[in-house]
Amino acid sequence: MSNVNVYKQRPDAARAESPLFHAGLDELARKGKSSAGVILREKKLLGHLVIRGDAKDPAFSGGVHSALGLELPVALTLVAKGDTSLQWLGPDEWLLIVPSGQEFEIEQRLRKALDGQHISVVNVSGGQTIVELSGTNARDVLMKSTTYDVHPSNFPVGKAVGSTFAKAGAVIRHTGEDTWELLIRRSFSDYIWLWLQDASAEYGLAVKA
Amino acid sequence: MSQVNRLPKGGRVDRSQPLTFTFNGENYQGFAGDTLAAALLANGVDIVGRSFKYSRPRGIVAAGAEEPNAVLQIGSTESAQVPNVRATQQALYAGLVASSTNGWPNVKNDVMGILGKVGGGMMPPGFYYKTFMYPQNLWLTYEKYIRKAAGLGRAPLEVDPDIYDHLNQHCDVLVIGAGPAGLAAALVAGRSGARVILADEQEEFGGSLLDTRETLDGKPATEWVAKVIAELEKMPEVTLLPRATVNGYHDHNFLTIHQRLTDHLGEIAPRGQARHRVHRVRAKRVVLAAGAHERPLVYSNNDLPGNMLAGAVSTYVNRYGVAPGRQLVLSTNNDYAYRVVLDWLDAGQQVVAVADARSNPRGAWVEEARARGVRVLTGSAVVEARGNKRVSGARICAIDLKNHKVTSSGELVECDLIVSSGGYSPVVHLASHLGGKPTWREDILAFIPGEGFQKRHCAGAVNGVFGLGDVLADGFEAGAKAAAGAGCKVVEGSMPKTEKRKEEAAVALFQVPHEKSTSRAPKQFVDLQNDVTSAGIELATREGFESVEHVKRYTALGFGTDQGKLGNINGLAIAAKSMGISIAEMGTTMFRPNYTPVTFGAVAGRHCGPLFEPKRYTAMHRWHLEQGAEFEDVGQWKRPWYFPKRGEDMHAAVARECKAVRDSVGILDASTLGKIDIQGPDAREFLNRVYTNAWTKLDVGKARYGLMCKEDGMVFDDGVTACVGENHFIMTTTTGGAARVMEWLEIYHQTEWPELKVYFTSVTDHWATMTLSGPNSRKLLAEVTDIDLDKDAFPFMTWKEGLVGGVPARVFRISFTGELSYEVNVQADYALGVWEKIVEAGKKYNLTPYGTETMHVLRAEKGFIIIGQDTDGSVTPDDLNMGWCVGRNKPFSWIGWRGMNREDCLREDRKQLVGLKPIDPNKVLPEGAQLVFDPKQSIPMKMVGHVTSSYMSSTMGYSFAMAVVKGGLKRIGERVFAPLTDGSVIEAEICSSVFYDPKGDRQHV
Repeated sequence: MSNVNVYKQRPDAARAESPLFHAGLDELARKGKSSAGVILREKKLLGHLVIRGDAKDPAFSGGVHSALGLELPVALTLVAKGDTSLQWLGPDEWLLIVPSGQEFEIEQRLRKALDGQHISVVNVSGGQTIVELSGTNARDVLMKSTTYDVHPSNFPVGKAVGSTFAKAGAVIRHTGEDTWELLIRRSFSDYIWLWLQDASAEYGLAVKA
Repeated sequence: MSQVNRLPKGGRVDRSQPLTFTFNGENYQGFAGDTLAAALLANGVDIVGRSFKYSRPRGIVAAGAEEPNAVLQIGSTESAQVPNVRATQQALYAGLVASSTNGWPNVKNDVMGILGKVGGGMMPPGFYYKTFMYPQNLWLTYEKYIRKAAGLGRAPLEVDPDIYDHLNQHCDVLVIGAGPAGLAAALVAGRSGARVILADEQEEFGGSLLDTRETLDGKPATEWVAKVIAELEKMPEVTLLPRATVNGYHDHNFLTIHQRLTDHLGEIAPRGQARHRVHRVRAKRVVLAAGAHERPLVYSNNDLPGNMLAGAVSTYVNRYGVAPGRQLVLSTNNDYAYRVVLDWLDAGQQVVAVADARSNPRGAWVEEARARGVRVLTGSAVVEARGNKRVSGARICAIDLKNHKVTSSGELVECDLIVSSGGYSPVVHLASHLGGKPTWREDILAFIPGEGFQKRHCAGAVNGVFGLGDVLADGFEAGAKAAAGAGCKVVEGSMPKTEKRKEEAAVALFQVPHEKSTSRAPKQFVDLQNDVTSAGIELATREGFESVEHVKRYTALGFGTDQGKLGNINGLAIAAKSMGISIAEMGTTMFRPNYTPVTFGAVAGRHCGPLFEPKRYTAMHRWHLEQGAEFEDVGQWKRPWYFPKRGEDMHAAVARECKAVRDSVGILDASTLGKIDIQGPDAREFLNRVYTNAWTKLDVGKARYGLMCKEDGMVFDDGVTACVGENHFIMTTTTGGAARVMEWLEIYHQTEWPELKVYFTSVTDHWATMTLSGPNSRKLLAEVTDIDLDKDAFPFMTWKEGLVGGVPARVFRISFTGELSYEVNVQADYALGVWEKIVEAGKKYNLTPYGTETMHVLRAEKGFIIIGQDTDGSVTPDDLNMGWCVGRNKPFSWIGWRGMNREDCLREDRKQLVGLKPIDPNKVLPEGAQLVFDPKQSIPMKMVGHVTSSYMSSTMGYSFAMAVVKGGLKRIGERVFAPLTDGSVIEAEICSSVFYDPKGDRQHV
């Protein structure tokens, strides 16, 4: 169709293993205690698209808006509508997260709306996952893990940053007063899962399905 | 044993909670609220250790971090051992077990003690080095015994059961020290709404206010402390950190605080709790209110147990209800020291005499002491302590300060406790960590913090401000400035009222004169922990060590865990006097982090055990585990190394895996290769510039191998890149080079060629890759895919899309084994299912999983290089005999072209990659073995290259290697030799590096 290769990568029906599949989170969720300072949930198998383009070009921001119904977020923020969120990753880079299986159709829609522009859309759905941390001690766990200042005065709801996380990296998103999301890479997910269990041990950790 | 020195009342200890503990094998009792030092003193324990060098008995001197002697080993079990604990900083808990670190066989009867006494006069500084220097080869032997005899505690031999962690903190104002200045600063900053951290190293906040005689608002100062803490505790943005020592002051107002969370509860932390926590603080402003350390006077035998700091005795009396003696003598040069006299009298003890170096002191406390009948000897000092293992008397003489002389025969008074105070040294350690040279102030006889390179405010005693009212005012002001500087709005507040008291200035007195010369007088100790005497310092200056830094290193003054807390200023003063210069001219040594010792556990935090380093896994990892794979670390990745069957060793497993691939088909998890999605109209041009070869004519649907060089023309990565759309490429990189290459592309795009329209996105983790390799790979793949695999429809170095195992896949027909190969890429979430389907279908073809070792052997048989193994950052494409991969006619000067055309890179005798065939086909050359042309030459031989890869080939039936050899490409057929460390030599023939299927027929079928 164009000068780029776009094809549907997710099968309609096939067994899927999210990056944290091996941790058996569903099983843990059934066994877990109800009161815990930290509650963890994997928001798995969503559609992740990395969008690149020129933020200063009204045709680009307009095209993104017409395709998604979302304004391009400014630096260090994310915007969300329903199950779709769009996050600033860099001056010319955004992360779009959509419900599982919609990524192919949305990529096509985006490409159509941005036709003729120098842009890039890349499906990275298999390469990362979201771990949601909530609870009264979620912020304490973040303080153990990242050098970035996660105090609400510096990190209000709606902010998102990429930073260090233990000895790996993560995108940290503040989505609700006591709710945070970590966007982590598949290959590092086991390390981060071990780290999070350890860091939240003193507050009590519950897993939510 | 009863607590002989415990006063009937007083102190902040809880007498209803007795705690038993053990010191050097004997049981004692103390109270909750005691420090270990307070409890030892309460029990009349005089000797807590033997000195480092002379092995003299030593007792507790101080009450805080500056304690030089009571540095103990704690722990009842091997795994709980902690060295270097100051008894003055360790809270007492039930069952505490402590022992002296110096003193063998025991502190009371020490072998070295006799040596020290006999040889004492013959052990000047530098003794060990001077005496044991020759013969040089015996030093190692000497050192072993000296260290054993000296001892400074020991690390546990068993695994520490505790956990330690780190917390990243950010604040507007970090207040260091919770004495009067720090509390005032924290209060005003807290009230402004600032994010405040207040850290103090002691068990409770209050600092000097916990044992002061002075009142605030007419009430005991501790009431004000309690009120302030209560207010601070209610502020949501204020973090209070007791038992937390600010140990390091680093650049950009980054400070490290070492908090001992549970050390007061027991030797092992309650389950699930971290024992220590390091707070890594980034502060907008710092208020340094570290206070001051009292300076002892330097007189003969001032190290005998029973010599203490004046203020420390007040602390023991007022805070712990402990009187470490009966009959006290004070030797001082200042008014403030008199509080110990009044405290001692209030405790019902006897003050024998005060020796005041001043001629006519008339301050308020001096007069109060006189009024209460204390004998004050003016113009005098204690010149010598007397006693054996404990002070039994003091010799007080009149002294002439100006001429540094004893002017009377003096008198010997009976006493069991000599306390001294030579003034107060601001704790400038933290202020010096970043290089600010402390400044001498003659008016207060002290160094204060020098230039602050950071946004820092000093307050209170550390700032040279001493009166309580002034200290509080200084604290409030610093807190207000800090809060305002951090952008907070300061609110007005009022200070508590302090007493007015007449105080007179001190006179300068550091070393007390003696009738004999310094070197003849009984030892006068300056640095008790390092056994540095005034005579030693004089000797240092006499021997020409005039710089303060040299004096320090010659004598060990201020070394080690002590960091000169007690002795530094006295030492400098003595050195200055000895050289006839002022202290200001002498200057001071610098202090380094850490202020007090930090356990290794706290340094490591949670980065230990399984969390020491991230381990990266592929989507198929679980399957590899189930198959019993052995793993190899490749960067942070865990890659299957080989898949041993029952009873197989690595050699057998690899031979079997190799044979399966050559004969039928094998499967490899290649997911770890770096993968970069490249889109944009200039993508092709960009590839032309970063790869050595040409990309202009690569059609959509095709793939090509590329080499990447740095500017110097040296190879730094390689991989296959496929054209998936006219403006769309998928680049693969080496596993270890993935992040490096991604950064490389971005750097060049962002800094050199921003005009090129291209975007790069890492898809390494998104795609899982499984490689089918071997003559039966086509047949096997055909069973699980809808892609037309016909050799003409899907030729070598092309790719296709289709379903594999029911999952959309991109399949690349490329080969790293030389066999017919397909690399199947699917979204990683679905990879395990696809892998299992292929494995199931592959049973009839003896599909064999293989690991990196087999991959290495197979590729080496084909002469394919591995970046970082066959290259080392010093080889050009031509050195690798890969000139075919260099686009010599590309119009744009691509990265590496100029570099590889430098004269040196064009030499024909450069080390070049060749194959080696050992003459004995059963001998495998060790990788890394150096090569020579003539094995008979004498050592050192002329080395002409080395082996880069070497294996036994079960396919070919002989051993083979790849190597770099000088001018090797022109030496095909010649011999090289590898002389090995065991004396044997392996001889090999230089040959082409392509050993197997040189025409490449097998991968093209």
